[in-house]
Amino acid sequence: MFKPEITIHSDDPRVQEFLERIENGEKIEVDDWMPDDYRLQLIKLIAMHGISEIMGAFPEKEWVPKAPTLKRKLSLMAKVQDEVGHGQLLIRVAEDLMHPLGKTREDLIEDLFSGRLKFHNVFHMPAPSWADAALIGWLVDGAAIVTQKMLAHTSYAPYARALKRIILEERFHAYHGEDMVIALGDGTEQQREMMQDALNRWWPALLMFFGPPENGEIKSNQEINIRYKIRSKTNEELRQEFLDKYVPQIRALGLEVPDDNIYYDETKKQWVYTHPDYTYLRDVIAKNQGPRSQNRLNLRKIGFDNNEWVREALLHNQKAIS
Amino acid sequence: MSKDVKDYDVYEVFSQKEPTGKFESQFSLLAPNADVALAMAQENFMRREEVPSNLFVVKRENIHFMPPEKRKALLRLDNKDYRQPSHYGYIPSKWRELKEKNAPKASV
Amino acid sequence: MVKKYNTPEEAKQDQQYLDTLKELIFQLADDDLLISHRGSEWLGLAPHIEEDVAYSSITQNTMGHAAMLYELLEELGVGKADDLAHLRKPEEYRNARLVERVNGTGDYKENPDYDFGYAIIRNYAYELFKKIRLEALQQSSFVPLADTARKIKREQYYHLYHWEVWIDQLAHSTDEAQKRLNNAIQKTWEDVASLFDLGPKGDQIVEYGLLESGEMLKKKFMDQFKAKMENSGLIWPGEPQPLSETGREGRHSEEFVDALNHLSEVYKMDPQASW
Repeated sequence: MFKPEITIHSDDPRVQEFLERIENGEKIEVDDWMPDDYRLQLIKLIAMHGISEIMGAFPEKEWVPKAPTLKRKLSLMAKVQDEVGHGQLLIRVAEDLMHPLGKTREDLIEDLFSGRLKFHNVFHMPAPSWADAALIGWLVDGAAIVTQKMLAHTSYAPYARALKRIILEERFHAYHGEDMVIALGDGTEQQREMMQDALNRWWPALLMFFGPPENGEIKSNQEINIRYKIRSKTNEELRQEFLDKYVPQIRALGLEVPDDNIYYDETKKQWVYTHPDYTYLRDVIAKNQGPRSQNRLNLRKIGFDNNEWVREALLHNQKAIS
Repeated sequence: MSKDVKDYDVYEVFSQKEPTGKFESQFSLLAPNADVALAMAQENFMRREEVPSNLFVVKRENIHFMPPEKRKALLRLDNKDYRQPSHYGYIPSKWRELKEKNAPKASV
Repeated sequence: MVKKYNTPEEAKQDQQYLDTLKELIFQLADDDLLISHRGSEWLGLAPHIEEDVAYSSITQNTMGHAAMLYELLEELGVGKADDLAHLRKPEEYRNARLVERVNGTGDYKENPDYDFGYAIIRNYAYELFKKIRLEALQQSSFVPLADTARKIKREQYYHLYHWEVWIDQLAHSTDEAQKRLNNAIQKTWEDVASLFDLGPKGDQIVEYGLLESGEMLKKKFMDQFKAKMENSGLIWPGEPQPLSETGREGRHSEEFVDALNHLSEVYKMDPQASW
């Protein structure tokens, strides 16, 4: 494991200069000098973001062959393909950051299997009905869009460039998700029930997606990210944005937010709601013990192991020419 | 798997919108060689763009970036109007003025 | 000189022609539907991320082709495109056996033990055949079908190129890769003859000038496939076994019935609903 030597707390003059650049709104490139902890925070964040896109393909993919109409088959395939494509973009950015540490994509995948590299909580959850596929496209993507919009202002230019592409495609994802839930929410009794069930199932995971609220206590990890302008908002700010956008949509569809206590506090200009049990993130999800964690990891592992002969054959060719 | 070559190479992908247009950088991908990189390029980065008229890929190690400490060499003063056509914007009206001034006098 | 039919309305005037035409378009549409379904099961499981994305584009294109063909049937008054794709009985599907085969063992959601070597060779065989068939269809007596074939062929070029790149890469690499490709050719060969079968109305399909004969398609296919194998140092498996039963007559494997159940599971919950 790479030990950071030069950090935000070091008195190395280069750190001060680096922070000044960041404060001036300058963007950092992969070949710029950077403090070790800046690099490590980025790798951690971007590798998790990237691998979550890859793992996020699996829950929706369960419904790709079963998508109800020819049009849905096409659009859902395109959407899941985009997720894998976003994974490609992000993992490439992480790979370039890992390069000086002698690590490659293969190491990253192995970190996933060993549990060192985590993927987002929502992709550990089951998707037992077609409405779950619709809900993922609508609200899981919705939550991701809120986070990614914030991250697009990141100080690290290659990440910002990848996010720019991703956000453009997310505009399609947002409409795609809304198109699916409108068909169900505005559909038959059976369809509306499916949709409400899926919402009930996913609500706590959606709130957890943004992480525990800070309650005025910013952790050092997050503080570093904010000072380095890797991110600019807190978990709770992001969750509030999500609620701002989606509670009205949920209600417009005639669905019920599965929280009897939720209301908008006009004076504080924020949502008051029942928090999920965030210890679930640390005690279950982070240990890959969620309902579908092992299944999804296993799929990734099968894909990886079964094709080892292909990678080996291509690496053989690569060596032959280099 | 042998440890000396651990993963594929990085290829940068460039595309050209139309035959008279310039090539622009799209993104990068991992591939064992240029043939594979070319076969993956369009579907990875240009699924929604108009069909490009051409593509090329370059192994990243063959691209030379301006090193960070030399990027200052890209700076210059903003005093080079004389290179811009707009700097000569007075000319059309000047021509009109001159034509009028020097028009041959109609003989009486 | 065969008579041309310029519009669905013209075709509908001639019942025998219409029946023959429907039979053919079902073959084309069902082939694309099934191979695309198999492709969609691969999503997320390819050898590397970039390939996952590229392969999915081929799968989508192919599903798009199926949709165009079902829509052609809809214009011919056969039924709603989505109903045709999802609601027929297994014995009413006209696809070749080759395209319905599973990708490997195991369930796609739980333990998909898929063979990328088979994916390469099966897809290459199908796309090569499809190219040859599309070229012939461009002369079809049903003009809207000829036009559709012309459109499809434009983006199908990439499919064949893609799988050729894979063959070129792997055929000249490790012994294991070569062995796997050769095994995949053997496996593909068990079903390859199903492609050239034009079904019970085969003779009429040719007489009406809708498509050239199965023997012609087969000859062109074998010449090109053999050349590719020889250039790649792979083992040419020789003349394929004749068929015992054929998908073009609606005889399908159990694997097919599973695939059909998957692809129609949600739609069947309520075909009247909007999805």
